[in-house]
Amino acid sequence: MSKIKFFIQQSWLLLVCSLFFGLLLAGANAVWTPRIEQNKIDKLNKLMSSLIPAAKNFQLAGTLTINSAKGKPIPTDLYKALAEDGDCIGYCFNTAGPGFTDKIELVLAVDKNFKKIAGFNVLSSNETPGFGDRIKQPYYRNQFAGAPAGPLDLEKTGDPKKIDSEIVAITGATISSEAVVDIVNNALPQLKKQMKQKGLIEDGN
Amino acid sequence: METNTQNPPSIYKQTLLAGLWRENPTFRLLLGMCPTLAVTAAVKPALTMGLAVVFVLLCSNIVVSMMRNLLKPHLRILMFTLTIATFVTIVDLFLKAYLPKMSETLGPYVPLIIVNCIIIGRAEACASKNPILISIIDALSMGAGFTISLCVLASIREILSTGAIWEINILPKTFVPWAAMRMPVGAFITLGLLLALVNVITAKSKSLQTQKNSK
Repeated sequence: MSKIKFFIQQSWLLLVCSLFFGLLLAGANAVWTPRIEQNKIDKLNKLMSSLIPAAKNFQLAGTLTINSAKGKPIPTDLYKALAEDGDCIGYCFNTAGPGFTDKIELVLAVDKNFKKIAGFNVLSSNETPGFGDRIKQPYYRNQFAGAPAGPLDLEKTGDPKKIDSEIVAITGATISSEAVVDIVNNALPQLKKQMKQKGLIEDGN
Repeated sequence: METNTQNPPSIYKQTLLAGLWRENPTFRLLLGMCPTLAVTAAVKPALTMGLAVVFVLLCSNIVVSMMRNLLKPHLRILMFTLTIATFVTIVDLFLKAYLPKMSETLGPYVPLIIVNCIIIGRAEACASKNPILISIIDALSMGAGFTISLCVLASIREILSTGAIWEINILPKTFVPWAAMRMPVGAFITLGLLLALVNVITAKSKSLQTQKNSK
């Protein structure tokens, strides 16, 4: 009994403060959580509508799984891009893979028949400033918009304005350029297969 | 120590000035080096980090000062950390809610304010021994010193790495940006040069002082 009394004597301030601070945090969390969630949704929507500008709305249409290059399954959200009249005009996914310095997270968009890539946008990356982080710039990104949704190749030289399965690498950032191409090449066939199984896109494409 | 003062500066004034120069947390005490090096690639994140630290420092100094007579010596660090962690979490949530872009730029460095030596150092050195008013002044002075140091470092790095300050271009278009200044190497070099500059100024003013006194 005297031991319990001793512990209480020593730690009552800690207990009282923990309770008080806990309540404070619970309050802050309750007040700001809706806003934080909304911010996340807004950001994703903004990224996706930059890829499919014609879309008015994005609808979560399920979760798919992408096996990473090492075979680790990673869940990915599938978003349906809806035009003003409610027609589906494309799909968006988030996917990720290893970059030069850190994980690169991408949002990837394809058209409704899964024939062409509508584009990609970087959700988060930590590539070298001035070199690898140029994967975010139009020079590189525009090469994906309209490219066929099949295997892509990375070329060191070529015409970046020509839209085909050949992606021209960024000078001084071959590894980052390759990383993005690898992420896309790894994700697309798996997504296509799973979407066919779900009946979202027609067979025989 | 203070020989040339007719009317000795009050303890309040002394505390207020300590953080700005004499005991500047970044340049004199070399505390809080992690955010100093990590978030000073541009002025905006540096200022946000500075203000976040001011808020946490102020709140933790007030709380610690209020409970200074109740603290058990062997549990004090635990109490400091608990207090600091609470306010840092509040700042983190606030940034995520109202400045989501800035929150992303700062990334893990906001939660890392918990282990920022300046805050726990001031709780130990000042707030746990002094009444509330002095603790508040101390927090504001140290916080301001930290914020200003960060902004100085960040301005130099941002100008050299992008030719802009506060994302507004000030250097001519012909300026070739130094990408290295945006990377960690730029932070170390700039900090080292600034520390050398501060030391030179201190040494100069000290020798002036001794000359004056000897006359």
